[in-house]
Amino acid sequence: MGGVGVGALTGFGVVCAVGRSVAEAWPRILAGERGIGPLTVFDGTGQRTSLAAEVKGLVVPSPVDGSVWSRSDAMAFEAAREALAMAGLDPRRVRVGLVVGGTTSGMLETEELLARMHADPTARQPTPDMIAHPLSATADRLAVALGPFTRARTVCSACSSGANAFAIGLSWLALGEVDAVLVGGTDGLCRLTFTGFNALAAIDPDPCRPFDVRRRGLSIGEGAGFCVLERPAAARARGARFEAAVVGVGVTSEAHHITNPAEDGAMPAEAVRRALASAGLRAEQVGYVNAHGTATPLNDAMETRALVTALGPHVERAWVSSTKAVTGHTLAAAGALEAIFTALALRDGELPPTVGLEQVDPKCAALRHVVTRQRADVDVALSDSFGFGGVDTVLALARADRVDALAVSRRSVYVSGLGSASRLGALSGLENLALLGEAGAPVDPLSGLDPAKSRRFDRHARLATVALAAAGAVRADGAFLGTAYGDPDGSAAFLARVFEKGPRLAPPADFPNLVPSSPAGHASIYLGLQGPVMAVADLSASGEAALATAWEWIAMGLTDSACAGSVEGPSVIAETCLAPQFRALEGIVRPSERSDGAAVARLTSERSEVEVLAVAQGVDGAAVLAALPPPRECASIVVAEDDAEIAAALAGSAWAAVPRVDVLRAAGRHEGVGGFAFVAACARVLAGEVECALVLGVPRGRAYGLVVSRAR
Amino acid sequence: MSDSLVSELKSLIVRELNLEGRDPASIVDSAPLFGEGLGLDSLDALQLAMAVEEQYGVRIPEGDGGRVAFASVAALATWVREHGGASKG
Repeated sequence: MGGVGVGALTGFGVVCAVGRSVAEAWPRILAGERGIGPLTVFDGTGQRTSLAAEVKGLVVPSPVDGSVWSRSDAMAFEAAREALAMAGLDPRRVRVGLVVGGTTSGMLETEELLARMHADPTARQPTPDMIAHPLSATADRLAVALGPFTRARTVCSACSSGANAFAIGLSWLALGEVDAVLVGGTDGLCRLTFTGFNALAAIDPDPCRPFDVRRRGLSIGEGAGFCVLERPAAARARGARFEAAVVGVGVTSEAHHITNPAEDGAMPAEAVRRALASAGLRAEQVGYVNAHGTATPLNDAMETRALVTALGPHVERAWVSSTKAVTGHTLAAAGALEAIFTALALRDGELPPTVGLEQVDPKCAALRHVVTRQRADVDVALSDSFGFGGVDTVLALARADRVDALAVSRRSVYVSGLGSASRLGALSGLENLALLGEAGAPVDPLSGLDPAKSRRFDRHARLATVALAAAGAVRADGAFLGTAYGDPDGSAAFLARVFEKGPRLAPPADFPNLVPSSPAGHASIYLGLQGPVMAVADLSASGEAALATAWEWIAMGLTDSACAGSVEGPSVIAETCLAPQFRALEGIVRPSERSDGAAVARLTSERSEVEVLAVAQGVDGAAVLAALPPPRECASIVVAEDDAEIAAALAGSAWAAVPRVDVLRAAGRHEGVGGFAFVAACARVLAGEVECALVLGVPRGRAYGLVVSRAR
Repeated sequence: MSDSLVSELKSLIVRELNLEGRDPASIVDSAPLFGEGLGLDSLDALQLAMAVEEQYGVRIPEGDGGRVAFASVAALATWVREHGGASKG
């Protein structure tokens, strides 16, 4: 394994049900004041409960530039602004990156419109109301309001999204891509998630009681948490104060079930072990665990077993609490908010309680529960976050005075498998050279799937599974899949049903498919993958963004191998409404006719014939090309489409004279073409057609360049 | 007790739980739906309860009551009948 180093926490920002700043919220979390009260942001008639942990007094800005903000955006803005101010950082003066974890983004604001679009074809047209809908919308709003940021990324792994944003931020610091990075998560209340958890019978009608024998499920909350991470030496050099740092990360997947955790807690325990090992820490040093602690019967018993397994006899020493009884479950924000609460506990030597825990469940009795605020000098603490599909992330934090310099080592990343699923069929390895040819008669790529194992999959998940299998995914692998919009048609159908028939008749099995990370989650279960699994979103560069994330994680030792690329499913709403609108914003001139497919490369730290030599991300093509190595002899550039934007970006660069090929004609048009371009580029190098190849994606406002080469 | 309600429920199970390629008639009336037997899980139980409520206007309780109703297709038919369920479809 490599080393991902240390991220000093120099700034925090908090928005949750008990406060819209650290100063307001933290004393109330320590005091155990519940933020759970009547639901007001939408009508909760027909739900199991009309209680939620709402953020009070939030004003959603309506900027003069005409951009549309969501509740998720507004909460993220307040938290991110507070974190930057506390750190005393000006993104105009230093290289600051941005990583946002999210699951629903502007869902609340677009729910009624989506339901209308489902029923009425005339409602399906580009409209400013949908600008807040894509998962990456928050990052785009923050870049304008608080930036510029040198690079931005959006990640979704359901309820561990916020924690994985920290992992990405750490990798950027370790790679030296940024001087500081703003990381966090945001999720506003919406009907989709509230009704979905209601349909899964996962909501307690009363305020939630983590670890209590009477617990019946979660209380849904909303919020945003953002942190500034910096390299400790750099933070000290500029005189920035910090009392805690993120020192380790462990990420695993259960490959078990799309909504239920495996009862033995084996993979969450493995995530704890990896978090400690990556920080060079031992189980006996852990003094506090901020638990995932959702208060569902399954989670809390499973999490207890996981902590007992991972910490062994030392579990008796570590205090444990769940702050979700105060803030509600804030979904994508939870991992970020709880990392902040963990850091504040280390700073103050005071631990927040699990409110409502009065009769400890015998299945949770092995833990040392914090039931009222507790003074305790803790040096090392953990923050657990587990998501749908069994995506487990554990962050290890330590007091600043205990932070030693951890070795940072960067590994080479190689390509050992290629797979795609599209109208060209299922293609493996060199068969992917067909991506650069002409389209023939369409071939069904899904015919090889086991119908019983894939019965709950939507088409996105089926395409992803076929592509990952064709790339030769194995048990230890992760999966990083780019997606621009997730599944808007699935969300629209679900919401139309909720509006028409009421929450009781919401289909529970459809809900998990509406989380953007579900194709990767389903595929991991089908194929038994136990590495990090998540979706990455950046509009038309989502495939490139996912590949860049996987490359960074392998280079810095967060995982040894992963399949990465893109998946886009069929979507009438994307074709008629979202794609035309966002392609116009991104400066992409293409007809809106839209295909679908998935394409991934298996990346690994084990040496093979093709190496991913360099990956660069920036806000424009020129900056990205300047950061990449020059072409070797016999090079090629693979792009989605050879258009004016590409030509303009390449003009004057070292790559200007290199011949270009495009993948759109054969693979079809959609936002995931970057994944297809990368797979095609690797196939060319592997076949010996060229010595090296550049994949370039330069939609307006975001740019990625990835160079693959024959390994030397 | 093979009757039209039992056959209807078998088709409903195959359709709602996407048991592609499974012939509804091949589901044994008395075989357990969950665990062994059809091999369904708790997410299927929730989906099936929702579908039965929509189709017949009968609520299947969570917990022990649900275990009785979901013991087998025959038990489910009995539950629907005893709770005054009428097909809306």
